[in-house]
Amino acid sequence: MIYLITAFYPEAKAFIDYFGLKKLYEPSKFQIFSGDKILLIVSGEGILQAAIATTFALTKFGANDKCIALNIGICGAKKKSLSKGDVLLCNKIINHYSKRTFYPDILITHQMKEVSLETFPFPIKKDTFTDEIEGDIVDMEGAGFFEAALSFLAPHNVHCIKIVYDFLDYEKIEPQEVTNLVKQCIPFIENFINTLVDMNLVFCTNIIEEEKIREVVEKLKSSLRLTTSMTYQLEKLLKSYIIRHENLPENISEFFNINVNSKKEGKQYFEKLKKILIS
Amino acid sequence: MKNLKKSLLAKHFSHIYIEREIISHPITKIILDKFPNSVIVEIDNYKEVFSRPRQNYKLQEISKKLILAKKKGEFLYPGPPLCHDFGYNHFYYTSLIFNCIFSCDYCFLKGMYSSANIVIFVNIEDYFKEIDSVLKRHPLYLSVSYDTDIMALEKIVPFFSMFIEYTTSRKDLTIEIRTKTADYEVLQSLRPSENIILAWTLSPQEIIEKFEHKTPSLSARLETIKKAIENGWKVRLCFDPILFTKNWKEIYLKFLDQVFKQIEPFKITDISIGVFRIPKDYLKRMKKVFVNEITLFPYEEENGIFTYPDELKKEIMEFFLSKLIQFIPESKIFTI
Repeated sequence: MIYLITAFYPEAKAFIDYFGLKKLYEPSKFQIFSGDKILLIVSGEGILQAAIATTFALTKFGANDKCIALNIGICGAKKKSLSKGDVLLCNKIINHYSKRTFYPDILITHQMKEVSLETFPFPIKKDTFTDEIEGDIVDMEGAGFFEAALSFLAPHNVHCIKIVYDFLDYEKIEPQEVTNLVKQCIPFIENFINTLVDMNLVFCTNIIEEEKIREVVEKLKSSLRLTTSMTYQLEKLLKSYIIRHENLPENISEFFNINVNSKKEGKQYFEKLKKILIS
Repeated sequence: MKNLKKSLLAKHFSHIYIEREIISHPITKIILDKFPNSVIVEIDNYKEVFSRPRQNYKLQEISKKLILAKKKGEFLYPGPPLCHDFGYNHFYYTSLIFNCIFSCDYCFLKGMYSSANIVIFVNIEDYFKEIDSVLKRHPLYLSVSYDTDIMALEKIVPFFSMFIEYTTSRKDLTIEIRTKTADYEVLQSLRPSENIILAWTLSPQEIIEKFEHKTPSLSARLETIKKAIENGWKVRLCFDPILFTKNWKEIYLKFLDQVFKQIEPFKITDISIGVFRIPKDYLKRMKKVFVNEITLFPYEEENGIFTYPDELKKEIMEFFLSKLIQFIPESKIFTI
């Protein structure tokens, strides 16, 4: 599942249109939209809202090793080298308030510029804010989203992607302009998502045929009357044997039709089987 | 899958994380000059990146990042009981780098650290200061390449040559540098010294292909060893870990023949041998990430260490030793 977390509806709208997402009528305070393996949640403004919405989505709809969570939205840029509409991948996310810093694992190639993001609990305007800004860009959600998502997912599957809207001098946010800016960036974001999905698929696939092993274990468990601990041991031995020899031992079927009459007899057969499996 | 790898994955060291405190350290500059296209990310403490929760070691191995840091606290540690002390009373090891550029399935580092990224502590001068102060109290046998392969990393950070130069002028210090590299170039401009032991870990080619990913071939390692011996370096061979695998007897027999066909046994300083062994907690962590022949074997536990069942361990050791002593006197062999 791909989780997209945006602060405002105008940011979400670009994705709703592009991916054909449908509104989900779940009892919750958040607006949720879903499509084929995509779930989008509109968190509302602020670090705490972003953390709550992320936690809600990842708890309610489930998180596993291959799930990806992205916080996507507009930001203010401090760096003069950036331009309005630039799509940026954050390699460092600073919570201005707590001073905690987070680092996504950037393992894949992408076509975005990389910057550091600083999340503030209030809007930043350069002529009124006198402290130093550490990040290249600023927002109000990134750090909240990141800290929450990191409680569930691996750091290579959690990312903040920001789109430059202003240079800390905005007066009013124009919803239509926001939607248009996000829309322009979707090809970059979609490409990034696809690459992440592929990487998770290719490199996190289990090479052992668990089904096949379970079947054999069940057969042997009943024919040899194995205890729970012996069954557990057998499973490990089988996995280890298969990975060394790429198959089960030829003579294993001989053990399938044995009907042991006592614990002692079962133990003897188990030891015999163990010897075959550690070879 | 290889093509997919190429197009998807960021290159090794695409990102370099640097602690603010050592941004202008000379070693930092040497390293950064080698990676002009890497993205630089400033950090306060290496643990912010290296010790993040839920990192995927397996995925990080295919796109490793560099983390440059300053070592604080302890610089030397007593030699672990799982390692040979080669008869030295004051056996210590030190760790200038965490993790390795090679990727061996059996490596304990995969269970020791939560990240596959490489941490380099650039303040080597503080290590030297600490060693000097210990040398005032007693001689020292120091392993400098346990948590990494510093010789293989020489082209990224010149710690190997710096250590050689430093050790040469300190007679009470003996260092062992363990490696799997076949890059003789890094030795070429250096002068051998009596108190420096280059210890090559050797495995049969079949084992290399199966378990020692990205390492040089056996013949390449042997070529390098031959040159090193010819040029006066003291060389130790480490047949460690000996692994149990399909056809292990034939594989290891052929291996010993190949090694001693190329290397004259009497020119070897000594040899260490041992079967695969690993602390319980490390194996537990490795199993969570890696499903392979090494992690899946049903080892037996003794005093918190997992190794082959007694009978098997005895069989492997006796077999290997009996063949090895046909090439080299037993007095030169250290077993564990």
